[in-house]
Amino acid sequence: MGFVTSGSTEGEKDPSPQVEEIRLRTASDLMNDDLEVATANGTKLRTVAVNLLYGRFQALRDITLEVPNLAITAIIGPSGVGKSSLLRLFNRMNDLIPGVRVEGKVEMDGLDLYDPAIDVVELRKRVGMVFQKPNPFPMSVFDNVAFGPRRHGLKDKGKLRELVEISLQRAALWDEVKDKLNQSALALSGGQQQRLCIARVLAVEPEVILMDEPASALDPISTMKIEELMRELRRRYTIVIVTHNMQQAARVSDWTVFLTMGEHREGILVEYGTAGQIFMNPKDKRTEDYITGRFG
Amino acid sequence: MITPSSLVRPDRRRLYSQRIAFALLMLSTALIVLPVLYIMAYVLTRGAGAISWEFLTAMPRQRGLAGGIFPAILGTIYLMVGTVFFALPIGVLAAVYLSEYARPGRITRMINLSIINLAGVPSIVYGMFGLGLFVLALRLGSSLLAASLTLACQALAMVITTSREALLAVPKGYREGSLALGATKWQTIWHVVLPQAMPGILTGAVLAISRAAGETAPILAVGAAFVLPRLPSSPLDQFMALPYHLYVVSTQVPGMPDQTKWGVALVLLGVVLLFNSLAIFLRLGVRAQRYR
Repeated sequence: MGFVTSGSTEGEKDPSPQVEEIRLRTASDLMNDDLEVATANGTKLRTVAVNLLYGRFQALRDITLEVPNLAITAIIGPSGVGKSSLLRLFNRMNDLIPGVRVEGKVEMDGLDLYDPAIDVVELRKRVGMVFQKPNPFPMSVFDNVAFGPRRHGLKDKGKLRELVEISLQRAALWDEVKDKLNQSALALSGGQQQRLCIARVLAVEPEVILMDEPASALDPISTMKIEELMRELRRRYTIVIVTHNMQQAARVSDWTVFLTMGEHREGILVEYGTAGQIFMNPKDKRTEDYITGRFG
Repeated sequence: MITPSSLVRPDRRRLYSQRIAFALLMLSTALIVLPVLYIMAYVLTRGAGAISWEFLTAMPRQRGLAGGIFPAILGTIYLMVGTVFFALPIGVLAAVYLSEYARPGRITRMINLSIINLAGVPSIVYGMFGLGLFVLALRLGSSLLAASLTLACQALAMVITTSREALLAVPKGYREGSLALGATKWQTIWHVVLPQAMPGILTGAVLAISRAAGETAPILAVGAAFVLPRLPSSPLDQFMALPYHLYVVSTQVPGMPDQTKWGVALVLLGVVLLFNSLAIFLRLGVRAQRYR
C-alpha cells in the first residue's frame, strides 16, 4: 500500500489554498491511531472478575476489561450473549431487574460503583444511556431535553433554555428543531427522536454515554448521522456502544470488546483491545471466526 | 395456475361467513345500545312534563307533592364530590403502590385478588359497613360525610383496579429513559408515568363515581333524609339525595302524580350523564394538551 500525496511538491503551485493531504492509511496506521486515541486519556471504566446473575441464570462470567477515557468502545458478539447486560452494569440499570446479583468489581475512575455508599441516582447523572428504541417522552422537544436538568433542581428558565440549545446543538439536532421546540417530540422522525434522546442525555452533562444499539432501529442515513455524532462526542465524553453490526463497530470504535457464549449460554470475554488490532490482527481464533463471519 | 378470473371470482363460502359474522356483531351492538336509548327515551317522554325551573330549584313542599327537588340534586352533587375527594387520591396512590413499588409475590397477588373481590361486594353490604363504622362507631351520624365515606369505600375498589391497569399500560421504556437520566423513582412516577396514565385513571374514576352517585342502598343504610327543611351547610349535616328521593317518591307517598316520579328519575339520569360528560371533556383536554 502506498502513499498518495496531493499538494505542494517542489515548487508546484497549490491548485487550492485549502488542499488537504490525502493519504491512504495503512493497517498499522489504523492500529496506531486507535492506540493513540485509546490510551491518550487513561482508563475510565474497569471491570474485575465480574459475574452477573439473574436469579439462578448466569448471564456473564468472569469479565475483566478496561474501557479507555474519551474514546469510543464497542462491545460486539453474537445475539443474546449479554452485551446489553454488560453495558447496563455501568449505570446500574440491571438493578431494576428483581433477583439480579453482581459479583466482582465495576469501577469508574477507580471507584467501585456497587459500593453500598454509592447513590445510584447520582451515578446515572454521570453515566447516561441511550436505548435501542428511541423513547422520547410524550412531551414537547424542549421539555424532553429539559427533563433531566429540571429533575436535578435547575429551575432558572434562562439557564434551561441555554442548556437545551447547547445540548441540541451537540446532538446535531438544533437546526432541525429550533423552530419546533414546543411541538410534541413524538412528531419527529425516528432518527430525529434518537438524536433527541442523545440531546436529553447530554443535557444532564454526563461523563460517560452508554449506547445500546443506538442505530439498529434507524435507516442508513440516520445511522450515518448518529455515527458522525459519536465521533464528535468522543472529544468530550467516554462512549461505550453495544452493536451487533460489525461493520459499524469497525467504522466507529477506537477500542473493541468481543464477547462470546460459554458452555451454559453465559457471556464470556474473549479478548479486547484497539479496534485496529481486534479487526485486523485478532489474537484469539474465536474472534477471527466471528470477524470473518464464520459464525454469529 | 392463477388466472385473472380466479383472482376476481370471490370465494363464496368465505364471503358469506364473513358477512354473517359482521351481521352478528352488529346485532350484538344493537342489542346493547338500543335498550339504553329506549330507556332514556322512556324516561324522557314520561318525565319531561314535570321538569320546570321551579322543579329544579325550589325546596320541596307538602312532602314532595309540590315544590321542587333542589336539595336532592344538591345532595347528590355533594355526595359525588365527596366520593371523589376520598376515593380518588387514596385509590390512585394505592394503584401506584401496586404497580410501581410492590414486589411480585404471594402477598401482592393476594392484595390484587382482594381488591377485585371487593368490587363485587353488594352495595347494601357497603351501606351496612358505613352505618356501623362511620355513622355509629365514629359518631358521624347520618351525614354527608358518612355517606361520602361509605360511597368512597365502594368506589375505591374500581378506582384502584382501573388506575392500576392504566399505570401498567404505560410503556416500560419511559420509566427506563427517565431513570437513566438520573431521576428518582418518585420523580419518574410523578412526571412521566402518572401524566401518561391520567386519561385511563380519569375514565375509571368517572365510572366508579357515577355508579356511586346512583346507588340507593348505601345511602339508605346511612340514613338519607326524604325531606329536610334546610340545605346542608356542613359535611356533618343530614342530606337528601336523588336515588333515595326517587325511591320514596315512587313507593312511599300516596297520591304522588306519575309525572313527578318520572321527573325525578329524569333528573337523576341527567345529573349522572352530565357528570360523565364533564369527565370525558376533562380526558379530552388532557390528551389535547399532550399532543400540542
